[in-house]
Amino acid sequence: MSDIGIKLIYWDRVFEAGFWILLTLFFYYLALRIQRALGGTPLANPVLLASAPIIALLSAADIWVGDYMGGGQALIWLLGPATVGLAVPLYRNFARVRSALVPMAVSLVVGSAVAVLSAVLIGDAMGASMETVRSLAPKSVTTPIAMGIAEEIGGYASLTAAFVIITGVIGAVFGAAFFNMLRIRDPRARGFAMGIAAHGIGTARAFQEGEVTGTFSGVAMALNGIVTALLLPALWLLFAS
Amino acid sequence: MSRPPLRLLCAFAVLVACDLAGKLFAYALKLPVPGTVIGILILLAGLIALRRVPADLKHVSDFLLAHLNFFYIPAGVGVMAYAALLADDLWPILVALFASTFLAMLAAGLAFQWTSRLTRGKDGDA
Repeated sequence: MSDIGIKLIYWDRVFEAGFWILLTLFFYYLALRIQRALGGTPLANPVLLASAPIIALLSAADIWVGDYMGGGQALIWLLGPATVGLAVPLYRNFARVRSALVPMAVSLVVGSAVAVLSAVLIGDAMGASMETVRSLAPKSVTTPIAMGIAEEIGGYASLTAAFVIITGVIGAVFGAAFFNMLRIRDPRARGFAMGIAAHGIGTARAFQEGEVTGTFSGVAMALNGIVTALLLPALWLLFAS
Repeated sequence: MSRPPLRLLCAFAVLVACDLAGKLFAYALKLPVPGTVIGILILLAGLIALRRVPADLKHVSDFLLAHLNFFYIPAGVGVMAYAALLADDLWPILVALFASTFLAMLAAGLAFQWTSRLTRGKDGDA
């Protein structure tokens, strides 16, 4: 009896996970169609366009996000191998990346410092709680690193996870227009700045712009993650206490 | 499909294996770096040793990178779980996130562009 029960629950979960993955695929496809119909504009960001209707659907049907994550987790897991694929454009553009070591180093130091300090100072000046300010500090680095840093400096890891995603979408949506406004036309500079400020979601957008932009964005995302993880907790303890 | 599916599957397995190896490595050595970043370095080292990118690997990684957005959708949906937490400090959060993202792009972008111009003679292409 209990054996049958276990099997039923199991299949129920598999079915549900498949349903949520299928739904995510459907809305992603729709988002791509919309973006293409609008001439590929970054304003029509696929992450935003696809997750908004899913959020609306879950709220309307009163379904817990955790249920959706039964399928969502599988896609989050796939993010790992997909990101490892960055090694291929990195290898193809290795000479280009190596010849830009000086601009990359300067941009990394300046960019990661501005990303952390501006978020902390603005949040604090606008009267956010201490926990919120601490959770804002690592918002420009990729989720797993950001959550770890938030915990180390006394923020909420889950709040940080939300900040990281919102930051990524802001960068992906407005980055291209902003770089045009600043007359930053060098694809290496555009990509690197995108990766520093808007991590993986920015990198996903950068690859839509081109391979060089995407490669530099991916390199910047990795370097900013490492530098912030190594320096932010130590510096925070030094200055905040 | 022009490419044998089995070879594409092998290329995908290489990506999964590098990711997994990177995660194990980062976990075992307690590195403050996500395993996936180590995974990128492992694959990069492999490509440098091989001196070329196998066509199937290029095919699979180009496809996955072109659709990187797809894998971020669950994270986007996950933000809804924290809606109540966000509501506490909504305005400071929104202003800080918007302003700081723009400032970081400005600082990093201009720093790159200026230094690249200063060092152009030495670096060649720009």
